[in-house]
Amino acid sequence: MSNAIDQTRRMLSLVTYLRERPGAEVAEVARAFGITERELIGDLNVLPMCGTSFRGGDLLDIDTDGERIWWHNVDDVAQPLRLAADEATALLVAARAVAGLPGLRERDRQALTRAVAKIEDAAGESAESAARIGVTFEAEGTVFADIDRALSEGRLIWLRYWSHGRGELTEREVDPIRLVTEGHTYLEGWCRTSEDRRTFRLDRIAEIKVLDEPANPPRLQPRDLSAGLVAPDADDPQVVVEVGPGGRWVAEYYTHDSAEELPDGGLRITLRSAEPSGLRPLALRLGRDGRITAPPQLAEQARTAALAALEHYRDGQV
Amino acid sequence: MAIAKAERLMNLALCLMNTRRPLSKKELRESVEAYREAWQQGSEDAFNRMFERDKDDLRELGLIIDVDENALDGEVGYLARRDRNRLPEIALDAEEAAALALAARVWQQAKMSGAASGALQKLRAAGVPFAEEREHGALEPRIPGREAAFEPLLVAARDRRPVTFEYRKAGAATAEPRSVEPWALECWRGHWYLAGWDRDRGSARVFRLSRITGKVRSRAGAFTGDVPEHVDVRAVVARFAGEGATATAVVRIRRGAAYPLRQRALDDARPVDADWDELDIPYGNGLGADLAEYGPDVIVIGPEDLRADVIDRLRAVAGLAEVQS
Repeated sequence: MSNAIDQTRRMLSLVTYLRERPGAEVAEVARAFGITERELIGDLNVLPMCGTSFRGGDLLDIDTDGERIWWHNVDDVAQPLRLAADEATALLVAARAVAGLPGLRERDRQALTRAVAKIEDAAGESAESAARIGVTFEAEGTVFADIDRALSEGRLIWLRYWSHGRGELTEREVDPIRLVTEGHTYLEGWCRTSEDRRTFRLDRIAEIKVLDEPANPPRLQPRDLSAGLVAPDADDPQVVVEVGPGGRWVAEYYTHDSAEELPDGGLRITLRSAEPSGLRPLALRLGRDGRITAPPQLAEQARTAALAALEHYRDGQV
Repeated sequence: MAIAKAERLMNLALCLMNTRRPLSKKELRESVEAYREAWQQGSEDAFNRMFERDKDDLRELGLIIDVDENALDGEVGYLARRDRNRLPEIALDAEEAAALALAARVWQQAKMSGAASGALQKLRAAGVPFAEEREHGALEPRIPGREAAFEPLLVAARDRRPVTFEYRKAGAATAEPRSVEPWALECWRGHWYLAGWDRDRGSARVFRLSRITGKVRSRAGAFTGDVPEHVDVRAVVARFAGEGATATAVVRIRRGAAYPLRQRALDDARPVDADWDELDIPYGNGLGADLAEYGPDVIVIGPEDLRADVIDRLRAVAGLAEVQS
């Protein structure tokens, strides 16, 4: 799908690109522009309707047999266009953020830094507003570098990992699939210990070893991350959290099915979790700002844990 | 059937770029079929509105359109000069191009993602050697932008336009109107923040975008105050998140438990007995909630206010104190 603005932007570049490449292949051009062949054919249907000057009569003369694209105009009707402010900003902010990712290979960092300087030069005043946007990616540099190495060498990883839900350090063997950064950095991998795809937050990896054994993750469709990194299954058990105004942040941090406004300015948040007991830390964290109302076992676990903790503070204890 | 907008924009852009002299609105109307149609079937007004919108859209795409107020015997003339619109020579090697192509994919938000791929397309058209094949890398940095307020604030910060919006402070039961001169946006730990001048409060403030409710409205007029040379949104946000703490808390942690908390300790753990260690932890905003998470695996020794905070939280969860909900 593309809107009229994106399509216009793309067609303006296509006009210059195709002129330099007579007989370009549809499939290749579509890949180069990051669009489907269908979208490209759509563009190629519009272009011959476009005049090359105000005098009328002369139209862009482009045709295609569905496989190759031919360009017939003699005149140079377009040129590589300067970058718009948003375009320069989108590139520069992203490039600076990635260059600042701890653990990124030094060679890649240097290439990015050089590219940033060149884009700044070419963008001129369009680059100005890029300074008004900043993005910080967090990662644990040495762990990141180890995983990156394991990925490029195709090797198995051994981890000592803090399972936050279970509240314990666990040992696992993981076939690495990819490193995903969104705020924090996560390793997505096939966990041989639990025989399932798992996501590990880098700052919870207590120890890592890149093993000699080759990695052999099962062939999996890359997960669609658009809804967030943690995507519960439709048949996972439901958890209901009722929060006051001070607990509204729960809706910002947890992927949820619904968040219903409550009269006091709070929310009733319904979410799903494969293992509701893993939300015990959340239940304990909420304090006066909210409580778990379902499942009852989770509320009871939190209550028991809180009572046990309070035992420490009774007279005569520490 | 009405002529598609993209076709109309293309025609206008090509007209404006392929002329040596400024063109009048009438000339443009005659040469772009969609305008002729709008004028014949609609009205002068309909055409004018369409033309103004289209010029704005092309400017968003980076086209510089010169307006000559008196070009043609008193008539306004329009022209997109080749020299002003050309991308300057840019020489990126294959390695730089590949690194840039990876970075351009990080935006998850539609407007920025469109702008980033548009930039790559322009560079590609200018001969930058990007790989034809889009490789699926093992490294996937992502910049989110799910908040509805993101796009309007991005534009307002870019154009230095004041805005108003309803904002619900952390822990507040209701939202309040804010009138802000937006300086800078910062994404930290996956959430967007805005720094700017709060006109009603007469001071610099930081807002979390997810707490903005309703529409962000752009206001006429310019900023009233100077924009600081350097806006450190992150430092302010980090302070709220409990970083940059000045006090120290003493806590006991059950051996083997609460790994993330141990990572925050200022120095080595001091064994207390067979089961417990004592650690010094930086005491900043939100530490009480962080400690309560670990339930019976953590004991707060001090300071007293932190200890009281954690006990209060635990009492609420244990059902011994009222929960506000």
